[in-house]
Amino acid sequence: MSQPILIVGGGPAGLAAAHALATVGQRSVLVEKEQRLGGAPILSGYAKLVPSGEWAKDAIGGMVGRVESSSLVAVHKGCTVQEFGGEPGAFKARLSDGAPLDIGAAILCTGFTHFDSVNKPEWGFGTFPDVVTTTQVEQMISSGKGVRCPSDGRKPQRVAILLCVGSRDRQIGREWCSKICCTVSCNIAMEIREALPDCHVYIYYMDIRTFGLYETSYYWRSQEEFKVKYIKARIAEVTSDGKKLIIKGEDTLVKRPITIPFDMVIHAIGMDPNVDNGALARTFGFALERHGFIGKGNSYGALGETSRPGLFVAGAATGPETIDDSIAQAKAAAMTAFALVSRVPAAAAA
Amino acid sequence: MPIHEQSLIRPENIKSHEKLVLDGVDVSGHWSTFIAPRVVTDYNERLEEEIAALPGGEHIHRCWQCGSCTNSCTVNAVNPDFNPRYWIYLVRMGMESELLRDKEIIWQCVSCHKCTYACPRDVVPEGVMKATAHWLELKGHTPKSKSMHFDEEFSEQVFATGKIEEGRIIRGFFARTGQPLFQEWLVEMARRIARKFPIKLGLLMGIAALIRPRTRGWAKARDAISEYVEEQQAKQRDALGLVELASSELPGAATKRPRDRGDHGADDVR
Repeated sequence: MSQPILIVGGGPAGLAAAHALATVGQRSVLVEKEQRLGGAPILSGYAKLVPSGEWAKDAIGGMVGRVESSSLVAVHKGCTVQEFGGEPGAFKARLSDGAPLDIGAAILCTGFTHFDSVNKPEWGFGTFPDVVTTTQVEQMISSGKGVRCPSDGRKPQRVAILLCVGSRDRQIGREWCSKICCTVSCNIAMEIREALPDCHVYIYYMDIRTFGLYETSYYWRSQEEFKVKYIKARIAEVTSDGKKLIIKGEDTLVKRPITIPFDMVIHAIGMDPNVDNGALARTFGFALERHGFIGKGNSYGALGETSRPGLFVAGAATGPETIDDSIAQAKAAAMTAFALVSRVPAAAAA
Repeated sequence: MPIHEQSLIRPENIKSHEKLVLDGVDVSGHWSTFIAPRVVTDYNERLEEEIAALPGGEHIHRCWQCGSCTNSCTVNAVNPDFNPRYWIYLVRMGMESELLRDKEIIWQCVSCHKCTYACPRDVVPEGVMKATAHWLELKGHTPKSKSMHFDEEFSEQVFATGKIEEGRIIRGFFARTGQPLFQEWLVEMARRIARKFPIKLGLLMGIAALIRPRTRGWAKARDAISEYVEEQQAKQRDALGLVELASSELPGAATKRPRDRGDHGADDVR
C-alpha cells in the first residue's frame, strides 16, 4: 500500500483533492487550521456561487460531507503542519496536534486571504459603517437578512460597488487582477436589484473583466435584465455629509468630476496571497512567486508542481482563482501526486 | 469638436469681476476670475426609462460605451459634435442638463442605420436617436420638427379615410408648417408635370381632390387604429410624466404614426 498524501487546507481545492484520491483508493491526511472544513465559501459565508447559482452551504457543504464520511481521508481540524522534511515518496511531517506522519507527497491547498479594505482608507471602510465589502454583502444575503445598511438597518436606495479594491493597485503593492471580483460584483448587483427593485445599483469600474462565458450571463445580463449601471471611474474618495455617503471621482467617459450621494458603498475586494504564505514557505521549503502567491513549476507537463519536488499546489494558493478552477487544479495535482506515491510503495519508502 | 478635445472649462462657467471686495480686501483685477465647478452631483434616474418607453429607445440599457455607433456615424463624419455614444451615456446616467445642451444637434440623425449594424450589443442607436429627438419634442425642449408635422398630417388622413391623397397632404403639411402653397419650386414642378400629364389621370386626380374617396368599411379599422394609438400615447405620457402630450391633436391623430419598422418614408422630408 502506498504512503498517504498530505493535503494542507480544507477549502474547495483541498476537499476536491481528498475526494479525488479517495475515489482511486488512495489514503490522504487533510489538515485544516480552522475548526471547520469548507474554506472561504463556508468560513466567510458566501451566498450563491458563480456560475451554478447554488448556495455555497449546499455546494461546498456537499463536498465537506463526502470527505468527512470517507474512510480514506484522515481529517485534522484546528491543526497546522509544524515540520516537513524528507524526499519525494518519503516525507516526514509533524502536525500541531502532535501526530508524526510518514507521507508520500503533499498538496498545498492553502488558498488566499481576502483583501483588508482598511488598507485603502480613502474609500471609507472602517470609517463609515455603510461602507462594506463584497464578503459582508455575501453574508447579508446568505444569512437571509438581506442587504441592509449596517448603520440603521434601512434598505439602501442607492448602492455603489467599487471594483478593483485591493487589485491592480501599485500603491498598495497589489498589482494583480483578482479575476473573480467583476463577476461576483455583477452577481451581487443582480441579487440586490432582485431583492430591492427600487434600489439603484451603480458599478464603478476601470475595466470589466467578466472573463469567458461570464460575459453574457453576468455582465450583459446585469445590464440588460437588471438595469445595473456601469460608470467608468476609479473613485478618488468616499466621504459622508453626515447622512449619506458621498463618493468623488471622475466619470472618464464624459470627462466630468462626480460627487454623488449613496446609501451604501460596497468594496469588491480582491484576493491577497494567504497571510500565512511566508510561514508555509519556511515550513515546506518552497518558493513564492513575485506577488507572494505559491510559485508554480511546469505549467504544461506535470500540473500543480511547486519548486520542491513531491510538493504540489492547487487553487487560489497559486493566485486568484475561481472555485471550479480550484477544484479542477486540485484534481490535476492529486493525479500527479498519486502517480508519484504509486511508484513508491510504503515498504520501499520505509 | 470631438469630446476629447473639448475644453473642461466652459465660457459660461468663468466668472470674473471688474470690482470685487472679499472680507474688506479689494481683489479687483482679472486674476480674480473664478471657474464654476462642473461636478455631477446627481443623476436623474428616470431619464433612461423615459427614453426606453419611446419607440426605438427600448434597448438603450444594453450600451457598454464602445463607441462603434459614433465612429460608424454618417453625420459624425461631417459634424464631430454629433455623438450618439455620448448621448446614450448621458441618457443612461441621467445627465439631463448636459443632454439638453445638444438638443439642436440630436435630431440631425439621417437614419442610415450604419450604427445599427456596427453595434455589438444590438442597442439600435438609430432608434435611440429617434426616441431622444422625440423625447425632446414631447418635453417641449424643441419645437415640433417638420417631419413630425408631416407624420401627423399623413396619419390623420389615413385614419380619417383609409387613403392618402398626395395633394391634400402637401397642402396640409404646408399649412401646419406655415409655408405658402405657391412656392416657386412647386409651381415649376406642377407646370412641368402638367405639360406631359395624361388627361385621364388628371381627371381622376381632380375628382379625387373634390370628392375625397374613402376606403369602404373603414370605420372599424379606423376605430381599432385610433384605440391603439391612444393607448400608446397614454403609455408614453405616463412614462414621461406628462399630463397631456405637448401636441394634443384631434381624436385619432397620432403624434407618432404607427408604422412598420424600417419604413422611413416620412423622415425623408428632413
